[in-house]
Amino acid sequence: MDRRVKITLLLAPALLVVGVLFAGGLSAAVVQSLGYLPAIGMTEPNLDAYREVLGSRDFVDSLLLTVYVAGASTAISTVLAVLAALALRNSAGRLSAAVFQLPITIPHLVAAVGIALVVSQTGLGARLAAALGLIGEPSEFPALLYDRYSVGVILTYVWKEVPFIALVVLAALRGVAGELEEVARTLGANRWQRFWYVVFPTIAPGVVAASLIVFAFTFGAFEVPYLLGQTYPTILPVTAYNEYRSIDLSSRPAAMAINVLIALITALFAAAYLRLGRGLGRG
Amino acid sequence: MSARLEIEGLTHSYGGDEPALSELTLSVEPGELVALLGPSGCGKTTALKVVAGLLSPTHGDVRIGGESVLGVPPERRGAAMVFQKSLLFPHMTVEGNVGFGLRMRGVPRGEARGRVERALKRVRIEGFAGRKPGALSGGQQQRVALARALVTEPRLLLLDEPLSALDANLREGMRELIKEVQREGDHTTVFVTHDQEEAVVLADRIALVTGGRLRMYDHPEAFYERPLSREIAEFFGATNFLRGQARNGCVETPLGTLRLEHPAPPGEVTLTIRPEAVRLEGGENSFSARVRGVTYLGTQVLYGLDVSGGVHLRAALPPHTRLAVGDEVTARLPAESLWALADGETTPG
Amino acid sequence: MALLVALPFLPLFLWSFAGEWRFPDLLPAEWSLRGFRALAEPGSRVVEAALSSLLIGGAATVASVAVGLPAGVALGRYEFRLKGLVVFFVLLPILVPPLASTMGVHLTFIRLGLADTSLGVFLVHLVPTVPYTTIILASVFAERGVELEEAARTLGATPWRAFLHVTLPTAAPGVAVAALFAFLVSWSQYILTVLIGGGNVVTLPMLLFSAARGSDPVLTSVLALLFALPAVLALVVALRYLKPGEGDGEQEGFVGLGGKVS
Repeated sequence: MDRRVKITLLLAPALLVVGVLFAGGLSAAVVQSLGYLPAIGMTEPNLDAYREVLGSRDFVDSLLLTVYVAGASTAISTVLAVLAALALRNSAGRLSAAVFQLPITIPHLVAAVGIALVVSQTGLGARLAAALGLIGEPSEFPALLYDRYSVGVILTYVWKEVPFIALVVLAALRGVAGELEEVARTLGANRWQRFWYVVFPTIAPGVVAASLIVFAFTFGAFEVPYLLGQTYPTILPVTAYNEYRSIDLSSRPAAMAINVLIALITALFAAAYLRLGRGLGRG
Repeated sequence: MSARLEIEGLTHSYGGDEPALSELTLSVEPGELVALLGPSGCGKTTALKVVAGLLSPTHGDVRIGGESVLGVPPERRGAAMVFQKSLLFPHMTVEGNVGFGLRMRGVPRGEARGRVERALKRVRIEGFAGRKPGALSGGQQQRVALARALVTEPRLLLLDEPLSALDANLREGMRELIKEVQREGDHTTVFVTHDQEEAVVLADRIALVTGGRLRMYDHPEAFYERPLSREIAEFFGATNFLRGQARNGCVETPLGTLRLEHPAPPGEVTLTIRPEAVRLEGGENSFSARVRGVTYLGTQVLYGLDVSGGVHLRAALPPHTRLAVGDEVTARLPAESLWALADGETTPG
Repeated sequence: MALLVALPFLPLFLWSFAGEWRFPDLLPAEWSLRGFRALAEPGSRVVEAALSSLLIGGAATVASVAVGLPAGVALGRYEFRLKGLVVFFVLLPILVPPLASTMGVHLTFIRLGLADTSLGVFLVHLVPTVPYTTIILASVFAERGVELEEAARTLGATPWRAFLHVTLPTAAPGVAVAALFAFLVSWSQYILTVLIGGGNVVTLPMLLFSAARGSDPVLTSVLALLFALPAVLALVVALRYLKPGEGDGEQEGFVGLGGKVS
């Protein structure tokens, strides 16, 4: 069989699934965001929805909140993950590896519920504070759920993503970074010099790539902020969903416009990630 | 700057039943190149890492220049190491890699640049200073790694199978380069290898390690001429072994009574002689034999000889000797080439 | 560190067995199995939802491995023009949230009668699962190389038999990892199911969500533990039988993309 035909046939099912259900859906979203919805009598393509969305205070608030939540979750997770990896690099225990990987497979929803029961005003944290005499009433415990700073949301993301980034870092540390560090030692580099000149530059591309994935994910994820986030402003995917569910069908284009913007922003991060990945492969 | 290295009673255990290294004792003179030779997994790399300080020994002592370095971290031992993989820092240029050790020691930039240049010249890599390691061939990378270790003028140079990742055609050139650079700089060097030819060509002395123990420590020719045991003789390619009974300096064997120049211990012994030492001529220690096999090797011909009493010997002769299977010959085992192994009684045969 | 990992599970376990637990008590005053009994009650719909989740997850797993296997062979084994673009395209649904595409596809699903059906939900679950199986299997096949298959060919095997008897068995652990992943991804889906299922298709995360928004931490905790169970089992299986610590490919597969199971 011709090689090209063979490769095409092998790829066809996957391309079909992604092409029809994902790219097709995304294209439909773009079309609808342009105000083309024949089913409800909208047949004139226009940019009204984008004008409306980009000009609204709600959208700007949403966008800022989304960038804040994704940025804070990513930054905190990355720093903690690097520290955790450095601390764990020498312990080869199977059990610790297993425990550490647990958050990776646990659904976000479970993590969110668990975190909520720890940090809510009647949660474990508040009970502990009461036992220590720090607070008397639940309302004296700081509100960490449905709050302005999205503390519960960020904590859930941090719990989920730290092990993910840390394992990427750990793999690099136990592999080539560890070997290069030994070389640096025999060449006279002290602990700090080794980290700064050798280990950090070696693991940095992996750390950046993992952080990009985490940022793209937390930027577009729905469940955790929907459950633990405040009611206004909401992060972009929740805003889009709320618009979408609105009884007024004419707000469909606005919902779709927000969706398209989310897709564009996350696709940019995806492209950056893949570019970096290819660069790594070459190096 | 080169220093004497003394290793005493070194034992290292990774936690398994058998220690990776047990009771290794040897000393390396200033400027000497010692090969740690042994099959893979014999503990030689472990020994090197303990000397470098990358592993700490379970027992024993390591002294560099007469002082114990046990509590000294690797970065302050002055023992630069070259690994099997070049392990160049991928994010630095060649110059950055070679200058690394100088930078760590706070050598001023101008001075460092000159030293890097000289080090690159010594390993015959010039004009590559600005390149990233990824743009170099495997052989060039390994030279840069060598320059990176040399530039700091280490008290000890530790080489861990630096040639084994290279293509065969590059290996010889790199071998010459290492020898030359080592002689020039008078570096005390420990070279780990599993290749006995490499060890013989490079080393002033060879330390043969198997099963985590030192089996023999001597000059290369001793491993051919005076091996301590049958195992060592076999490791160095010996194939002729003859059982016999030593009496008054002579040994009674199925081939008759043979005279040895090196005295044999009384009792049961195993005699060995290298195939290239066997002569086809009459005289002392001669006997008749019959050719049973011929293998042409280009630079020599290997003959299998059947001797009376069911003894087989191998003789390596110059390629111009033309004998055929079945030919009757007279063979001689020169007294100065026969060597008696004391462990004859332990290998029945 | 293990303590921090375990922290969210602590209240889940305590509440699951709690009878009465008032603020500010540190531990429940009474213990009870009320939550677990509630799961089995006929009116709870938990069994039904769990079965529904299993069915959709199982189907999505089989389908996405079936689709991802040939694509993984193509991407892992061959170099071709536009390969980078194909990889980008296939990976996109992992990195770009499938919320947008699902809302886009909703109208078409309504027209085709796929909305509000398990079949429709199964189809949109393929959007996040197929990229995972494809990428994991591509790395598996890239790592295995073609030497073994070539050896089989020289021994008289047809290409198909060489693949079936040599390549596939050696790739089995990788296929298992891909399948586990696909199942977990589908099992964890909430919003896609809500959008396409429209409340007609009820899966476990939907019950957990409504419980979490309600005021019964006992039921919420029991549901959360039930919902977490396959993830824990998958991890145990992966660590015990698939040795992710040794083969780099599996580790990449499990860890490299693992953070995004939601």
